[in-house]
Amino acid sequence: MAEQEFAYFLGCIMNNRYPGIEKATRIMFDKLGIGLKDMEGASCCPAPGVFGSFDRTTWASIAARNITIAEDQGNDILTECNGCFGSLYETNHLLHEDPEMKDKVNNILAEVGREYKGEVNVRHFAEILYNDVGLDKLSEKVTDPLNLNVAVHYGCHFLKPSAEIDIDDPIQPTILDELVEVTGAKSVPYKDKMMCCGAGGGLRSRDLDVTLSFTREKLQNMKEAGVDAIVNVCPFCHLQFDVGQTEVNKKYEEKWEIPVFHLAQLYGMAMGVSKDDLTVDAHQICVDSAL
Amino acid sequence: MIMSFLNRLKKVITGEGEPEDKKPEETTKTEQPQVESEPKQPPVEEKEPEPEPSTEETVKAEVETAPQEETPKEEVPTEEKAAETEEPETPVTTEPEKTEETEPESPEEESEEAVEEEPKKERSVSMTLLNAEENKITRADIDPNFKQAVMDAGAESVAICFQCGTCTGACPSGRRTPYRIRQLVRRAVMGLKDDVISDDTIWMCTTCYECQERCPRGIKIVDVVKIVRNYAAQAGYMAPAHKMTGSFVIKTGHGVPINDATQELRKRVGLDQLPPTTHTFPEALEEVQKITKAAGFDKLIGYNWETGEIE
Repeated sequence: MAEQEFAYFLGCIMNNRYPGIEKATRIMFDKLGIGLKDMEGASCCPAPGVFGSFDRTTWASIAARNITIAEDQGNDILTECNGCFGSLYETNHLLHEDPEMKDKVNNILAEVGREYKGEVNVRHFAEILYNDVGLDKLSEKVTDPLNLNVAVHYGCHFLKPSAEIDIDDPIQPTILDELVEVTGAKSVPYKDKMMCCGAGGGLRSRDLDVTLSFTREKLQNMKEAGVDAIVNVCPFCHLQFDVGQTEVNKKYEEKWEIPVFHLAQLYGMAMGVSKDDLTVDAHQICVDSAL
Repeated sequence: MIMSFLNRLKKVITGEGEPEDKKPEETTKTEQPQVESEPKQPPVEEKEPEPEPSTEETVKAEVETAPQEETPKEEVPTEEKAAETEEPETPVTTEPEKTEETEPESPEEESEEAVEEEPKKERSVSMTLLNAEENKITRADIDPNFKQAVMDAGAESVAICFQCGTCTGACPSGRRTPYRIRQLVRRAVMGLKDDVISDDTIWMCTTCYECQERCPRGIKIVDVVKIVRNYAAQAGYMAPAHKMTGSFVIKTGHGVPINDATQELRKRVGLDQLPPTTHTFPEALEEVQKITKAAGFDKLIGYNWETGEIE
């Protein structure tokens, strides 16, 4: 019987593109004795920089609907996507601070028989691992220590806006580096580490060239630091580094092939989850050099 | 009128008469017996600044656009102050500022080279102050409700922006595109609604929060961007690709819906072939669709419920 249980928010890209991240997470949380309860009927978060840019009311209403599913469970939400975390966390915050907006959203939710109450917290899975589980317990579960030099990519919506989120220093954080190093891998410092992957805010679909110039700059900085792999905590960043490398290769006629792992997959590797279950063979960029 | 202003400005800066008349200056000063040795320095100093304007201008081009956006009457004092704090340049420099501003807007990262090569041409062509009519911002361009609307929508803090430019300095998009977040904030606060929402560069922001984290005023800059984009979307400036993403959510509940390959992968690792989301629960998808209707999102993106296409 699990002592602790979370409402497991899937989102889109993890479950609909990289199911190995979801699989690894379910296996890991089982090992840790933490329950993950499916949020049946949840939808897209929806993406903060995309739907938030189109229409704030629609964005907050769909996000609030997702939150009400967790409220029905009485569980805090766990998500392992920075974008989903951003949308759900920000909506929770906004509706808490702005009663007018809350009324507006609840009027819309009333049409589908729901009401946002503001009773649960929205949490990022990396922060739960760090604060609730702890590095000690995590290291106990490591059965296959990794010998890798890793470029940690924080992404944008995990720690920022820090005035509202307050997980770690947004400019010089250590939380992910500490989490990565529990596996035996080494987090290598690199230039402009906190820079965006380039995919967010609707830029990837609006202007891929600009997005790729972000990604390429990050790849160059990572390469200079001599890394074996990129580790992220956001399936969208994950996609941007995985698919994005093939796009950079095409556009710039280069040959980038740095393996990309979500933190859940990295833990999977360190905890003996099979390569098959991690679905790393389905990545665009071959990961064999890092296995 | 402008020339006379420029001349006045020159006098203020150099504390003397016409620039060409360096001799008068000496004579004025030689009239003061004790300063005999000094008068020879000013001419030297005056020559030094000449090569500078080009670099000075580039800096200014980045940092200062506000004057251009002020109403003409306010422009005079602002520019005067600005110029005073700068090196004693020749007043002509206030003009290339404007043309150069449009120059770096080429998406390439070559802007530096471009700026270096072009000024010579620019300088003569670019007496933009003389074409002030074309560049003038008037009351007609200002929507007095826009600033308030931006603030009401959640970015109250925008009112205390003092245009320091830290945001633009921190912006990774600004390093590779003509997107200038400081300008966007300024124009939004001025109420230049049509100007801002029709500007394609506002869509270059990835919402990475680098600007907001460094803002000395604690302004919720990303909220400003998103709100401005909301107005842009309402006015029809929404990219087809973005409407498509919107239509995916209406159709499936997911911005990135599942595909066959992923269904196979899910099966292989023992997960449900479809995730337990709107993909599995049609009644949940219906809820999402009702919400988009109630919020008017379907109309915003021109979604046709019968064909499932964007009109």
